[in-house]
Order: sequence, then structure tokens, then C-alpha cells
Amino acid sequence: MRGFRELEPVVITIYYVCVIGTAMFIMHPVIIILSLLGAVAMFLTFDRKRKAGLHVSFFLLFMILAVINPIWYHNGVTVLFVVNDSPITLEALLYGIFAAAMIIAVLYRFRTFTMIMTADKLMHVFGKLSPKVSLILTMALRYIPMMQRQTVKVRSTQKALGIYKEDNIADTLKGEARIFSIMATWSLENGIITADSMEARGYGTHRRTAFSLFRFRASDALFLALCIIPTAIVAVSAALGETDFGFYPAMSEISCSPLALASYISYGILSFLPAVLEWKEGLRWKYLISRV
Amino acid sequence: MEILDIKGLSFTYPLAAAPALRNISFTVNEGDFIAVCGATGSGKSTLLRMIKPALAPLGEVTGDIKFKGSPVSECETSQIGFVMQDPDHQIVTDKVWHELAFGLENLGVPQPAMTRRTAEMASYFGIGDKFDRNISELSGGQKQLINLAAVMVTEPEMLILDEPTAQLDPITASDLINTVKKLNRDLALTVIIAEHRLEDVIPVCDKLLVIENGAVLAFGKPGDVLRRLYGHSDIMCGMPAAARISSMLGEKECALSVREGRELVRKYGNKKTLPGTNTEGACKKNAVLVFKDVFFRYERSSPDILRGTGFDVYENEIFCILGGNGSGKTTALSCASGILRPYSGTITVFGRKIKDYRNQSLYKECLALLPQDISTVFLRNSVREELEDAGGDNGALPFDLTPHLDKHPYDLSGGEKQLVALAKVLALKPKLLLLDEPTKGLDAASKQRMIVLLRKLTENGMTIVTVTHDVEFAAECADRCALFFRGEVVSAAAPEEFFSENSFYTTAASRITRGHFINAVTAGKAAELCRLNGRKAEET
Repeated sequence: MRGFRELEPVVITIYYVCVIGTAMFIMHPVIIILSLLGAVAMFLTFDRKRKAGLHVSFFLLFMILAVINPIWYHNGVTVLFVVNDSPITLEALLYGIFAAAMIIAVLYRFRTFTMIMTADKLMHVFGKLSPKVSLILTMALRYIPMMQRQTVKVRSTQKALGIYKEDNIADTLKGEARIFSIMATWSLENGIITADSMEARGYGTHRRTAFSLFRFRASDALFLALCIIPTAIVAVSAALGETDFGFYPAMSEISCSPLALASYISYGILSFLPAVLEWKEGLRWKYLISRV
Repeated sequence: MEILDIKGLSFTYPLAAAPALRNISFTVNEGDFIAVCGATGSGKSTLLRMIKPALAPLGEVTGDIKFKGSPVSECETSQIGFVMQDPDHQIVTDKVWHELAFGLENLGVPQPAMTRRTAEMASYFGIGDKFDRNISELSGGQKQLINLAAVMVTEPEMLILDEPTAQLDPITASDLINTVKKLNRDLALTVIIAEHRLEDVIPVCDKLLVIENGAVLAFGKPGDVLRRLYGHSDIMCGMPAAARISSMLGEKECALSVREGRELVRKYGNKKTLPGTNTEGACKKNAVLVFKDVFFRYERSSPDILRGTGFDVYENEIFCILGGNGSGKTTALSCASGILRPYSGTITVFGRKIKDYRNQSLYKECLALLPQDISTVFLRNSVREELEDAGGDNGALPFDLTPHLDKHPYDLSGGEKQLVALAKVLALKPKLLLLDEPTKGLDAASKQRMIVLLRKLTENGMTIVTVTHDVEFAAECADRCALFFRGEVVSAAAPEEFFSENSFYTTAASRITRGHFINAVTAGKAAELCRLNGRKAEET
């Protein structure tokens, strides 16, 4: 199997939906711990820069989020201590810690998502949803920087012609307003020409397909199975109430029924899958290099 | 076999007084390479667009266009490919691979076939290594190559190109023409190409179509057509140097390529020479613009663009800076105009360092720069407003803009835009005019007018520095030429000396006459020398 980042972008997106979706809807200590550990492990294997800054800021955020809940919320049977006549309870504290862990886990996942999903891959995913949306996006991606460059060019031309002086604010504003207005004209003009070009190249004559550099391979199917089956198990056990967990007023026990155990294991697989794949890739390259 | 048959085609734009095309008839055989030429506004573009139904302008049409025996409007869009003038105009998407696939996506081609065809095209055009790149990172020539590949990917049976090289420098332009010729030869692809720069096209085309005022002036083999057009100086001035020399001498056989041109001039004696124009002493007057050891780079970590550039420009001269892409020509102009600031060295304008000009005083009756992309000069909705803004006296201009006053500046042709921009600049009464590629996109006749105009301006006391790729233009208009290479001026001399010493970077006329005549760098000079020396007696 290939590394996680080489998988087909739609498969990668489905993975993220599964792993984040289940972690967000199931407020269960085991699931949350697995989710956080998996997310951190994934980030560590993918992050090449290895800077501590992000972890420090995430840890601070975690502390703040964890503390906020017991300060504002006083439900729960086990009172730890009393501040200003308000009881701080163990249940509220633990709830805060787990809720914070869930949020931090999701943030870590998003960090890796932005690292892995480049503009090309996102475009491919949109293309699968709708070829038209993806065409509009790709045109915008070309158009906005082009317009910025043209604006810079117009500005420096006008400067060298010395028509709009920079001596006072009124003249500068007037000059900028003119540049803005001509850029509007320029955009319209370009829009018409682009439309011509699209028509000349057969746009709208047939049902469009979307070309992509990414292909769905056997390993994508395998990964998709490893992603969907555990999610299904977790979802079924959650629907049957096997992984229900309550913090208030007193914490319920962590269920150890066969289905609950199966769902913990399933979620563990789901959560650690990318990190394990990436780690395996690393080993493979090391092995190949040492053989060479 | 006939692929295109046009009979009695006339076309009038809505609200236009005169028809744009009048009674045009010609046929094109499969595999033909047809060059279309004519002045700007003669109807070349209109004709080419009429052949491509998706681009056909609205208006009153009579006559008919048949493509493979049936009306052209019934053919599939992909059967006729069209490449536009401005490389940026045709591009739709942001990535090279997507641009190549765009036509196929529109036709609903399934993924495996698309993969194969884009791969095939990228390999054929040698752009495989740029497949994943952003199109905005590419040069104009590379963009135009991608446009060509993106059209070819849908396998058209006929390719139409509307001045594809107008925005390119001469070397990339001739590469593109060669690629088109290769397509024509390898795939028997029918090609119709409109061009201003005919030096490369005429020798390879099968037939030449000359259009004047919307009517066909001549159509046939290029040699025969040119033979008939010897008298039309405004059309001949855009032809290859060899053809111009033939026409000036009234030869029976019209030479087309440099090789034929060399054969032609060798029939003439070479005893007499023209008196050399001695510009050396006369020019050494006041230095108006002085570069001394100028170093410039865009970013701290990037390489130097200007590396110790040093040159002087004297009063009342036209100084041409030539050089390849990326040699730093345009950067030097931007430094001279104060837009960019060098990190070392000094630039002096009229005896004062450029840093000492404060509060825009550099641009007040002193210096002005016309950039390469001329459309960035315009800010208003009509030429009239544009000129009023600049506050100049229209009557004092050395050319007439009255017919264009109410048009939008974007609607003008390349040559007209240049003139309006120049009018705007002249209103500022600059003493030093910096021009970046003033001949880009101009037809031969407008180029001639530009040369006359620049000469007139220098006579009135202006000094002109121009950056250009166009060696023919430099040879005809410059007082001195300089070659820029790796951010430095490596040689500067009067054009006769400059071009006759260079053997590659020189005019076609110089290549034709090299080793035979001295200092004949323009077609006019070459013809004059031929006439002066007379024809040798036929060798037996």
C-alpha cells in the first residue's frame, strides 16, 4: 500500500469525514483518547519541520478549554473544592478535559489536512462533486493573481508617466479610483475574450467530463474498506447505545460489552491508520536505501 | 482535395458604413500552409474568425464558406482549431495539464483517453516537464506553445492562427512558426496563419493570401504573388528582406529566403561602397542618461539582474538596447525611470543623480517611460478623455488622432494604441523618452510610421532610449545600438557597424549581404548598393 498522502484525494477526504465525524458525535472517553493520540501521532509523522511552537499553543488552548467548563458549570456529585461559594466538581473538570481533547484532536487533524490536500487535490474533489464548480474555481485561481499583477503594472506605469502625483492624498485617491475603474473594464474585457476562447474550444457542446491526474487504484479500495468498516462498527454500536457515556451528575461506567470493545478497537485502527502507513513508508524507504 | 471553399464572401459589421470583407473567394487544399497578410484593419482577423463559427462576429453575411463540402456552421467545433494573438487571452485554467485537457473535457472524452492524449501532446510539444506547473509562471512563448498544444489535443483538421507571434520576441516567434510548420508537415494539417512578421512565414508557406481593404488583392504561390505586388510599397515593406531587395531591383524572380537573397546579390558587382555614415564624432555631446556600475536584484536572495551596467546616452539620439529575454533590458529601463532602485551604482539624468529628484520632479518635463504592455497606460473610457487628462495640445502632435477620439482605448489596434499612448506621454513634454518594445504587435506599415515619428521627435530635441527585440527596427531607426547580455552592455556602436559585425544577432539584410557588401544592414541600403554596382555579366 502507498503512503497516506499519495492516496486518491476523494479517499483522503472520506477518511477525514469518518475520523472527525465519529470523534465529534461520540462523547466517550476511550474514543476521545484514541482520537487525540491518533491525531497527534499522525501530525508527528507528517510534520517535517518539527517545530514546537504549534504544540505549545495547542497545549495552552487545551488548558484554557479544560478549565473553562468547571469554572462555569457546577453540576456533578464529587465536589473537589469551593471557590467564592461555587463548587468545582470532578465531573465538570473531566468533562472539560475530554471536550478540550476532542477539539484539539480535530485541530490537529485539520493541520494535517491542509498539509496533505494541496489546491490540485481539492480541485479534484470538487470536480467529482461538480465539474462546473471545479472549472469556476480553477478559473478564479488563475484570474485573481492575474488581476493583481495587472494592477501593479498599471500603477507603476502611471507613476512613470507622472500623471497621478503622490504629493497629496486627494490626488492619490483620485488616481487609485481611476485605476480601480479601469481594472473593472479590463476584467470585463478579459471575461468576454475568455468566454470566446471557451466557446471556440467546444465548451457547452457536450456533457463535460473532468480530467484529473489522480487515479483510483487497488490500494485506494483497500484503504477505503479499512476506513468504512470500522466507522460502520462504531456507528452501529453508538446507535445501539453500547458506547453511551454520561458525565453528570455522576460519571457512568465505561462499557465493556463485546460490541463496545469492538468499537474501541475499530476506532483505534481508524485513528492510527495514517500514522502507521506513513511510518511503514518511512521504513520502506530506509530499507530500500540501505539495500542500495 | 479541397478542405475549405469560400465563395463571394462579404461581411458588414452592424452600424458600419463600409463592409469589412468584400466578395472574397478562394479555396484551400488539404495539407496547405496558407499565409494571410495585410495591414492592420484590412479584415484579416475578421476573415479568419468567419471561418471559425464559434468566433464569427455578428453582422450581415453574404456568400458561403464550405468546409469539406458542407457549410462551415455545420461542422464540429473541434474540427477547426483557432489560436489567438495574445497568449493570455486563450488560456482558461490555471494549470498546464488542465489547459491541455480543457478541450477534451468539453467534448466529454472519458478519462483514459484524456490521459493518453494529453500525455501524447505534452511529449510531442516537449512540455512534459511543465505539466504540473502554473501557467502564470511561464513565458509568453511557452504560453503560446501550450495554447497550440491545447488546440491540437482535440485533433482538428484545420488550424487557424491569428498573428500568434505578435506578442513574442523574434527567436521564440520563429520557434513557434517552425512548430506549426512541423505539424503541417508531420500530420498534413491544413494551416491558415495571419502574420505581420513575415520573415519566417513566407519561406515556408505554400500559398500567400494578400488582403487589402477587405478584398483579396492576390492569392497564389508566394513568389508569384510578391512578383505581382512589387508596386505596393505598403505591403512590400512587411515582406522578408530578400523579397524587398528583389522588389526594389525589379527582379523577375522574387527571392524569399536569406539563401535566395544571397544568390541574388551575388549577381551584382561589389566594387563600389556607400560612404559610411560617421556618427562617432558628431554624437559625443552632452550625456543625458548615464549608468555607472549599476547593480540591481529583485530580492536579497535572488541573482543580480543588472551586473555593473554602464552606458551613456547622448542628447538627441535614438539609443536602441537589444538583447535576449531575461538579459535585463526592461529592468534597466525601470531603473532609469526611477520605478526600481538599484542597490549599488549611480544613474544620472540630465547631470543630476536620480535619487536627488524629489516629489515627482523626475517626471515633470523631464523623463517618461512607455511600458511594454501599452494597455496599462490607459485609465479612461475614451481616447478624448485620456488626452484631456494628460492636458496636452492635440494640435501640436505630429500625428492625427481625430478618427479615434471617441473610441475606447482598448478597442484600438496595436499601432493606434501606441500612438495614443505616445500622445499622452508627449503632453508631459519629456526631454528623455524611454520606450519598451514600441514595435510589439505592430504591422510593417505602422512600424515605418513609428520610425518616421521617432526621427521627427529627436529632431525637435528629444532623446529616445528604446528597448527592442526587433533588429530590423533598430537598424533603421537607431543612432546607436547596444547589446545587453547578462545584465551588462557588451557592445555599443552605430547600427551599420553593430549589425555588420554581428553574424547571428543581426538583420536579414545583413545576413544576405555579408561577405559581399560592407555596411548594408537594411534592405534599402542593400538594394542601393546593388543598383550602384550594376549587374555582373552572366557567367558562362
